[in-house]
Amino acid sequence: MNCSKALAAAFLALFGTAALAQAPDAPPPWKQGMSPEQSSSTLHPFAPHMTGRDAKSLPVNTLKVPAGFKVEAWADGIPEARSLALGDKGTVFVSNRLAKNVYAVVDKGGTREVKTVLKGLNAPNGIVFSKGTLFVAERDKITRYDGIEDKLDNPPAPKVVVDNLDPTQQPGHFWKYLALGPDGKLYFNIGAPGNIVMPSYMQASVMRVDPKTGVLEQVARGVRNSVGITFNPKTKEVWFTNHGRDWLGDDSPNDTLHRVSMGGKSVPNFGYPFCHQGDTLDPEYGKNRSCNEFAKPALKLGTHIAPLGVKFYNGKMFPAEYQNTLFIAMHGSWNRQPKQGYNIMHVTFDANGNPKMAPFLTGFLQDEKADPPMWGRPVDILQMKDGSLLFSDDYNGILYRVSYAKK
Amino acid sequence: MNGNSGNAGAAAWAAALCFFAWGTALAADPQLCAACHGPDGNSVIPANPSLAGQPEQAISTQLYQFREGNRKDPQMSPMAANLSNKEMNELAAYFSKQKPAAPTHQTSPENAAAGPKLALQFNCVQCHGPAMRGQQHIPRIAGQQYDYLLAQLRKFKARTRADLDGNMTAAAEPLKDKDVEILVDYIAGLNPQ
Repeated sequence: MNCSKALAAAFLALFGTAALAQAPDAPPPWKQGMSPEQSSSTLHPFAPHMTGRDAKSLPVNTLKVPAGFKVEAWADGIPEARSLALGDKGTVFVSNRLAKNVYAVVDKGGTREVKTVLKGLNAPNGIVFSKGTLFVAERDKITRYDGIEDKLDNPPAPKVVVDNLDPTQQPGHFWKYLALGPDGKLYFNIGAPGNIVMPSYMQASVMRVDPKTGVLEQVARGVRNSVGITFNPKTKEVWFTNHGRDWLGDDSPNDTLHRVSMGGKSVPNFGYPFCHQGDTLDPEYGKNRSCNEFAKPALKLGTHIAPLGVKFYNGKMFPAEYQNTLFIAMHGSWNRQPKQGYNIMHVTFDANGNPKMAPFLTGFLQDEKADPPMWGRPVDILQMKDGSLLFSDDYNGILYRVSYAKK
Repeated sequence: MNGNSGNAGAAAWAAALCFFAWGTALAADPQLCAACHGPDGNSVIPANPSLAGQPEQAISTQLYQFREGNRKDPQMSPMAANLSNKEMNELAAYFSKQKPAAPTHQTSPENAAAGPKLALQFNCVQCHGPAMRGQQHIPRIAGQQYDYLLAQLRKFKARTRADLDGNMTAAAEPLKDKDVEILVDYIAGLNPQ
């Protein structure tokens, strides 16, 4: 959970949509699921600096990475930088959730030019680039822009891959992550419509669509909101992060990492809203249920840590032990005191495939009890052709580069 | 901001001044904002908000909302239209450092008594803080102009006021008209510092 669920009703005002899906006396979306004892809580969601902040005004040199690695600001001036996609010709495409744009960052030998290539979109959080085409997941549809990298100043008109993905104008978790599977299909989330509510058949799921036919399939159910999906380059399994519910206390439940092997006989259900983190029944929806009926997460990631982008590393720059290990960007949550997250974690696997997690990049979290506790928030991770990693920070509108130099 | 007050004419006049002054300016000069928002950002026009002592991010966020057309106002929209992100950040930094003046509004005794309970019940303090002085992207409302507060809260309730994350719209929706009046009377009289 991050500020996300609070964004819930959000776009209604901005986009002039239909009425909120709640009764007039219902609590605001970010308070939904709060117990009476928590009513005097001062926890509140954070918002990005929509005008961005200069990297040179921030303590970038205080970010810590393991010995031999280096982290530096790579480009700034990209307000609310969220998801990342790499064009065939080296253009870095950057999405956002609130600013309605898609940006292109063009590397011009040391200096980087930021262009706004798409405007007026509806929460265009998800982007994928493949074979000359940029796919964009908006609130209600997925579109494609063919040949866009050659036309950054005059982008082509979009073609719809699939639409009607938000028929109820759901108040919460309407932004979508987008990832391209080894099967050529586009994987994305449809989040739960609120903090802890009964989802419809299509909500609280990970889905995929065949861009050739527009046919949808479910990949996983009972997933509150996944805003990070990737694939193991060797096994082709789908891996995704998930945000647990809010207002169940500082230490419950964990946000989670999930693994799904496609081709199974049934679609796995990970439990939302009945069971959290594979073993904890919800105090309301979990009555008369058991967690035994649900699939288990691959790893518990920490409570209110807000895992977003997730990527396996298979580049040539980092030391050999990093091959096929996983990086996860933790956006950090507002719904906890003291705060945690705001870093990039590294997940390794033992001989039996059991995951183990350790910090990789830290330093955004300055004071776990302060408000705000952090000066930046990692969102998505992109592996570049040279094997370095870029990651985005929506709080400041900055992209950072992590590289490794042999000693 | 254009409120519902009888001072709309004065506001428009001052705004026109701002606008003409702006046309001759080369950079984002905070003094150009003074005609409408008062010397050092303490507004003396009921329909216009004070900027002094507002959290930096709260100011830059609203300038952004005006420039992007999410929030619209006949006077303010053209002022923000050509500002760069950098200029918005500079203006925000300047006004956040100005000292807020004591409120001119006098809260009625009955609303001074009723206000705190409503502010807790309807989640005002959760984001604006116990003293309503704002934080991060959330504005200081303590001691803000009464007419401005009333107009904005009514717009949030009517879902016509741009709202970055939807929280304020959601918070205003359950308010009854009478609650709005009590809260605004209470908050406009609070000490801003």
